[in-house]
Amino acid sequence: MIGGVPWADLVLGIGLLASVLCTVLPGSRFAQSMGLLGLGVLTTLAWLRLGSVDVALAEAGIGGGILAALLVWVSVSSPAQPAPDAAAAPKWPWLRPVVGTLSAIALIVVAAAVWLRAEQSLPAWDAALTADMDLTGVEHEITGVLLVFRFYDTLLESAVLMLTGVAVLALGQGDVGSRAGLSAALSPQPAIPSSLHWLIRVTAPVLFLVGLWLLFAGSTDSGGAFQSGAVLCAVLILLRSAHVPLERLTVGWLRRALVAGVVVFILAALVHLDAPFSFPVLLAVEVLLTLGIAAGLYAIYLSLENPRSENPNLANPRSGNPVRRAAGS
Amino acid sequence: MTAPMSLTLFCLAAVVLLPLLASALSVLLGTAARRVMGVITSVTVLGLVTPILIQVTSGQTLELALGGFESPLGITLRADGLSALFLAMTAIVGAVVSCYAAARPAATGKRLVPAAEQRRRSHPADAGIGAEATAHREARSVVHADPSPVWRAGHAGFWPLWLGCWSGLNAVFVSGDLFNTYVGLELVGLTAVALVALGGRDAWPAALRYLFIAVLGSLLFLIGVALIYSVTGTLDIIASGEVIAELAASHDADLAAVVLALCLISLGLALKVALVPLHRWLIPAHSSAPSAVSPLLSALVIKAALFVLLRVWLWVAGPLPELVILAWVLAGMGAVAILVGSVMALRQSRLKPLIAYSTVAQAGYWFLLLPLLLDPETTALEGQTGTTLEDGAVLAGALGGTVALALGHGLAKASLFLAAGHLKDLYGTDEIDELRGAGRAHPMLVMSMGLSAVGLIGLPLSLGFTGKWLLATSAVAAGHYWILVVLVAGTLFSAAYLLKAVAPLLVMSEDDQTALTLPQAQTHPDDRALTGKAQLAPFVLGLLTVLTGFLGAWLTGVLEVGAPW
Repeated sequence: MIGGVPWADLVLGIGLLASVLCTVLPGSRFAQSMGLLGLGVLTTLAWLRLGSVDVALAEAGIGGGILAALLVWVSVSSPAQPAPDAAAAPKWPWLRPVVGTLSAIALIVVAAAVWLRAEQSLPAWDAALTADMDLTGVEHEITGVLLVFRFYDTLLESAVLMLTGVAVLALGQGDVGSRAGLSAALSPQPAIPSSLHWLIRVTAPVLFLVGLWLLFAGSTDSGGAFQSGAVLCAVLILLRSAHVPLERLTVGWLRRALVAGVVVFILAALVHLDAPFSFPVLLAVEVLLTLGIAAGLYAIYLSLENPRSENPNLANPRSGNPVRRAAGS
Repeated sequence: MTAPMSLTLFCLAAVVLLPLLASALSVLLGTAARRVMGVITSVTVLGLVTPILIQVTSGQTLELALGGFESPLGITLRADGLSALFLAMTAIVGAVVSCYAAARPAATGKRLVPAAEQRRRSHPADAGIGAEATAHREARSVVHADPSPVWRAGHAGFWPLWLGCWSGLNAVFVSGDLFNTYVGLELVGLTAVALVALGGRDAWPAALRYLFIAVLGSLLFLIGVALIYSVTGTLDIIASGEVIAELAASHDADLAAVVLALCLISLGLALKVALVPLHRWLIPAHSSAPSAVSPLLSALVIKAALFVLLRVWLWVAGPLPELVILAWVLAGMGAVAILVGSVMALRQSRLKPLIAYSTVAQAGYWFLLLPLLLDPETTALEGQTGTTLEDGAVLAGALGGTVALALGHGLAKASLFLAAGHLKDLYGTDEIDELRGAGRAHPMLVMSMGLSAVGLIGLPLSLGFTGKWLLATSAVAAGHYWILVVLVAGTLFSAAYLLKAVAPLLVMSEDDQTALTLPQAQTHPDDRALTGKAQLAPFVLGLLTVLTGFLGAWLTGVLEVGAPW
């Protein structure tokens, strides 16, 4: 910082805006995905700068990591797909961007004006939070709020993630049974360079440890089920790319892992409706939730390969023929 | 909390948690077991809602501080009159539609079956599950020709998704916390999108569009909640309402943030309710959804957003004079919705899009009360003799009317969509021209369509009539005569388009010279589900639409429990 100007923050802010432009402006999907990847990294830095380590970890794990994996997959498997309404060229092609920009400017000006004028009051729960922290058995306040004071929100959020997994599985082949929606998990993976193979075998155990550490660190420090689940899902994706045989694990356990966390959480909640969780219950719920989150994210990743098996022409998107599906058919 | 928790308070949490538990467990079950689980859960939820409704009717607001942590630190579940009524309507419609879906699995969507499995299982014994002739034809033509997977009727993924959606709806209705309401809305929106996508490949574009709208609406709502939180310092609905009322009373405070928050929240929720001109997503989503899903979407899912809108306008923001422009804009959009939705409904030639446009039109009614909220003086009647109105009478009437209209719409639209979807599955088309005379072959279906039309038009005795009557009387009391004009016009329009939908089905061959040739019914000989007891479901709902009209006075009484005035 020189002369009171927070240069680091300025650079970060400009970098964020630039990476947003890099995400929005390019025509190719691949460039857009890369732009978003960069945006994820910078957003993580911005959260760190604001002192929110938990949000930064979640952003890095889910926003930067898993989302990037999904987007890169899509942009590699179908790089240039025309938009559904590309055929009907609008009369004034400049109209949409101009209207969009003007609305965005108006929104930002109004929101900023209100934000700066408003008298903000501090959260009313600060005193209560410090007073009740020793009831929880955990030391980190964010974990306390997420899993003890506002556990009901976390329960419903993990249900949202579970049902997302259920939904993507339901859109695959078959509707019940252990293989339903998982046909993609059984298909062979493309060959990868041996150096990458080697790298994955080295890094996967380390990442696995990081994931576990994030889970257990959550009780005293930043980290927790969401961040840990994202890292564990990344381990699964890497192992799958490196041809480690995960098929039996996936078919046998993915569904069970997906629902186990939510089921145990609900049972615990029904027993503890008017009393706080005890620490062992909390730990069991958190461990199972982590598995459920990892399973849900992995199911979403696997589902990317799902629709292609519907049509034999799409069976191998990497055979040199770029995949072109009629939009909306 | 030292006293043991009462059974009713347990029910308050269980209406959210039990359907969610059933949803999670059903993921691990087979097709038939999921159906059994779905029916058992819906009966259980009906049983859980009953004590809540009884307790609230007796004049007591239910509150449960989860985990023993009172707000502002913890989350409070709260059930007042408004919650209890929406919970009850959802339980009734949900249970009936669940029974329908269990009796007719083919109505739950289309699934993609791998070709190998198809070859193994394509014998008649399987027809009870798979069920429809189209699917069978596809199966026959595909089995020996090529190994690509085929679409077949019926999707057991319906059960975990619908039970999760139900849990989300109940979570919204009993929530006492703004952020928790947002999470509930997310649960409802996500599962609703997935339920639309069960309609097969053709439904996917509509589902994707719906996903964007649902996420955008939730995001706007969330920003609004963050603004309210930054001003009030609490997320609890009642506590934040009190802080805003204090700010408004102190005169020098700046309420711009609250007004902006209300604008964002109203915009986000109007997107989810499909208020004109934000309605275009609803038509493809609701009309391409499977037969058992469209009634749930139209009757229940959009009501969750309406419920939150009423909550925020009445409980959080209170009658702030700064909101008057927003209230008039929304009410204007509502009036336009009635006009545009009705005209578009009249121009449709197929049943399901017509009914979807009717939902757009009916949604307009629910926004007309907003200007009344800010101007509840009974000026128009004060000079006249014999009129003594107590404080809050206009508000009570306006809210009672709107809630009656919304609940009546829920029952009637569920019945109408069920019957229309059933006809579409029977004949493979929902072109009204091709379905001429269907009333002779299926009197019960067309009768239930007639009953629900009575409710939607608002003819006397139905809940729709009660709603319009209450809304109209409070509009007159407050001197807002324009509402009368809108109500009358809306009634005439809805009579026109519903007549257009139902009348051709009732034509007898003597009525005109054209021969009645219904398309070949696509029923498989082995499948009795299409002609059997499943037809009772729309009939029961249609009957309820009319019978609940007697409950008008009771309904206003229940709404007084925990009312903000």
